Amino acid sequence: MKRRGRGIACMWYPIGFTVAANPSAAVVKVNEDGTATLLTGTVETGQGSLTILAQIVAQELGIATEDVHVVSADTDTTPMDTGAIASRTTYVTGNAARLAAEKAKLMMFDVAAPLLKVKPNQLEAKDHRIFVKGYPQRNMHIGDVANHARIVTGEPPIGSGYFNPATVALDPETGQGKPFATYVYATQIAEVDVDDETGEVEVLRVVASHDCGTPINPMLVEGQVEGGISMGVGFALQEEMLFDAKGRNINPNLTNYIMPTSLDMPDIQVDIVDNYDETGPFGAKGVGEPTCVSTAAAILNAIHDAVGVRVTSLPATAEKVYAAIKAKRAQESKQIAAAG
Amino acid sequence: MDTKTVVAEKESSLLDAEELMRAPAAAPLVTFPLEVRVTEASRQTPAVGQRAIRPDARLHGLGQTRYIDDFYLPGMLYAKIKRAGVASARIISVDTKEAEAMPGVMAVITGRDIPVNSFGPSLKDQPVLADERVFYAGDGVAAVAAVTEQIAAEALDKIKVEYEELTPVLDPLESLKLETPGVHAPSANIYGHKIIKKGDVEKGFAESYRIFEGTFRTQMVEHVPLEPHASVATWDANGRLTVYSTLGRITLGRADIARTVGIPMSRVRVVATIVGGNFGGKNEITTEPVVALLSKKTGRPVKCTFTRPEEFLSSTTRHPLIMDYKTGVTKEGRILARQIRLVLDGGAYCSWSETTLGKACILSAGPYVIDNLYAEAFVVYTNKTMTGAMRGFGAPQVCFAYESHLDDIAKALNIDPLEIRMLNALREGSLSPTGQTLHSVAVRESLMQAAQRFGWNEKSNGHGAQA
Repeated sequence: MKRRGRGIACMWYPIGFTVAANPSAAVVKVNEDGTATLLTGTVETGQGSLTILAQIVAQELGIATEDVHVVSADTDTTPMDTGAIASRTTYVTGNAARLAAEKAKLMMFDVAAPLLKVKPNQLEAKDHRIFVKGYPQRNMHIGDVANHARIVTGEPPIGSGYFNPATVALDPETGQGKPFATYVYATQIAEVDVDDETGEVEVLRVVASHDCGTPINPMLVEGQVEGGISMGVGFALQEEMLFDAKGRNINPNLTNYIMPTSLDMPDIQVDIVDNYDETGPFGAKGVGEPTCVSTAAAILNAIHDAVGVRVTSLPATAEKVYAAIKAKRAQESKQIAAAG
Repeated sequence: MDTKTVVAEKESSLLDAEELMRAPAAAPLVTFPLEVRVTEASRQTPAVGQRAIRPDARLHGLGQTRYIDDFYLPGMLYAKIKRAGVASARIISVDTKEAEAMPGVMAVITGRDIPVNSFGPSLKDQPVLADERVFYAGDGVAAVAAVTEQIAAEALDKIKVEYEELTPVLDPLESLKLETPGVHAPSANIYGHKIIKKGDVEKGFAESYRIFEGTFRTQMVEHVPLEPHASVATWDANGRLTVYSTLGRITLGRADIARTVGIPMSRVRVVATIVGGNFGGKNEITTEPVVALLSKKTGRPVKCTFTRPEEFLSSTTRHPLIMDYKTGVTKEGRILARQIRLVLDGGAYCSWSETTLGKACILSAGPYVIDNLYAEAFVVYTNKTMTGAMRGFGAPQVCFAYESHLDDIAKALNIDPLEIRMLNALREGSLSPTGQTLHSVAVRESLMQAAQRFGWNEKSNGHGAQA
C-alpha cells in the first residue's frame, strides 16, 4: 500500500570562503551612448551569474539590463576573480561590479555637475538619465554625459573596484571567530508516497522557501532552487558511487549510477523570503549551493512520517527502505508475542 | 603553421581523411534574425528585481553555444589518459614504446614528464599524472596525443605499466586509527581537524530533561555535469600558451597550469568557455597541464575531453560523512547542548577537503540557538576517488543528520516538527556556533512561509495515510 508522508527541513549556509580571502575585481566601462561593458574574471557555469552581474551594474548606472554587455572568463582581458564557487558570485563579484560601476558613475557626475550647474553629490542616475535630486526636470541623458566626457572633457568613465568579504580568523582551540560575512536561510518541505510492499519512494511535491537577500533576478533564483532540488532528490534516494573490495569504482556510468530524470521530479513550489542584507549589492546575498542542502533531509523525514522508519544512511533506496519496514514489522510482532 | 602545412605533414592520406571527418561540418546555412526581440524585463529600469532573460538563452536554444567539444583548431590532436585501475601501488615501470610506434600517435607522456608534478588548493598532494605511486584507481599514469580519439584510446592499451600492488585503505573509520598504515606515508591519514567549542556541553547535558543520540552516514556522489571536463591547449611561436577550458575558476587555474607546466603566469592565457555545469567539480585543473605538455611536445593544438566513466573515476566527488550526534533538550524541546563528531572520507587527495571540513563543522549544529556546543571534525585519506568541492561543501550531509535527529527528538517528545524548529531557530542577532552575531536571519520566516504554502497545519496531510 502506498502511504503518504511529509517532512520538513531547514538549513543555514554561508556566502564565500571560510575566513580565507576570496576577492573579486571588476571593471566597468561606460560607452559614449550610455550603454556599458563589464569585465569580470568569473565564469558562467550555467547558473546565469553574468545576467545577475549585468543587472547589478545596470542598477548602479541607472540603465537597463540589456544595456550592459559582460565580458568574462579570460585571464588576458578580465580582472582576477576567485571564481564560480562558494555561492559567492552575486555577493562578492556583485559587490565588486557595483563598486566599479559606482566609480564610473561618479566620474560622469563630475562631468555632468557643471552642465547641470550643481555639485556632483546632488546628482543621481536612473531611467537612463542623470538627474538633479529633487528636480526631476533638470536632467541629461546618460549617453550625452558619457559622450561629453569623452569628446569634451577627455575623462572617459571607466571604473574599477574590488571586494573581499569581511571575516575574522577562527581561534584554533575553540573555533570562535567570524568565518563568513553573511549567511542565507531556507526551509524545504517534501511530500512523498512510500510503497510499504516495495520500499519505493515517490517524491510528489517540494515546497521551498529560500532567503537570498534581495533577489536580483527572481526567475534565476527559482531556476537555482529547482536545480538544487533535483540534486537533492538524487542524493536522497538514488545516487551512490560503489566500490569493490579492491577500491575500484564499479558503477562509473549512467546505467548503473542512477540519477533522477525529469520523470522523477516532484512538483516544486518556490517562494523567496523577503529579506535585505545591507552588506550585499542592493541587499543581495546568494542562492547557488543552499538550494540542494535541505532536500534530502526533508525527504527522509517524509519517509519517516509515511512508514515510521528512520533510514540513517543515504541514499534511501527502495531496498533500504523496504528492509527498514520489514525490520520494524518483525520488531512489532515480537513485541506483540512478548505481550501475549 | 597554416592548415596546408599541417595537412602536408600527415603520415598517410587515410589519416588525413579521418581527421577531416572529425572536424565539425561547416556551419549550416541558416541565417538567424539579428533583430533580436528583447523582453520587457531586460529593458526595464530599475534593473534589479527584473525577471530578465539570460542573453545566452537564445544561443542555447538555437544550438549555437560553443562548448569545448565544438572547438576545432587546425591540426588539432586528441589526447587520452591511461588510468591506473589499481587503488594503491608502486609504479615499477612504464613502457610507452609500443604506443609511440603506432601510426597516428604523435606523443606520449608519463608522470615523469611533468615539470612540477603536484597541485592542490590547500595541500599540494595531487600529481598531474602519477609518477612513483598510485593513490587511487582513477590516477592517470600516462597520456597519448594522436590524430584521432580512437587511435589515442587504442594506444593506451599498448602502454605497459608494471605495478607493485599495495593494500589499499578504504574505510574512513579504519583510516582514522593511528595504527592504520598511512595512505600518503609518512604523512598521517588525518589531514584536517576542526573543533568548534561554545559554552559547557557537559553542564548542558546535565541540565537536560532527555538526551538523544544518533549516527548518520552519507554516500559518495558525483557532480555529473552534462558537459564533461575538457580543455584545448595551443602554443604560439613566442612560447605563449593558451588553454581553453571548462574550469570554473580561471584565476586559480592559470596559477596551477603555470606552476605544473613550469612557465611564468604571464605566458599563460586561460579562457573559460561557456561551461555546461560545474556544481563544484570544475574548480581545479584536470586535463589542462596534460594537453599543454602534449601540445608543446607535438607543436600542435591538443584537446582532451573526459569520457563519462572518467567523470566518475577521475574527478572530485562529494565527501561521504559519518556523523555522530548527541543532543540534550528540555521537556519543551529546547536544545540545551549538542555534541557532534564528523568523519569525512577525504579520498586520495586533499582537494577542497579543508573547506568542506570547516563548513561541515561550523554548520553541523544546524540553524539553531545552541549555547553549549562541541563539534569536532576529522578528514582522512583513503585510497578512493578524491572528494572535493561539491555544491554545499558538507552542508547537505550535516543537514540530513541534524534534521533527522531533530525529528526523532520531536517525535519522542510529542512536539510538532515545525514547532520544535520555530522554538530553536536562530533569530536576528543570535550568536552562531563560532560566536558571530548574525544579521538578516530568516529561519523562522522561511519556516512559516513554507508551512503556509504546504498547508502544514492541515493535519490530514501525510502521517502514513493511504495515498
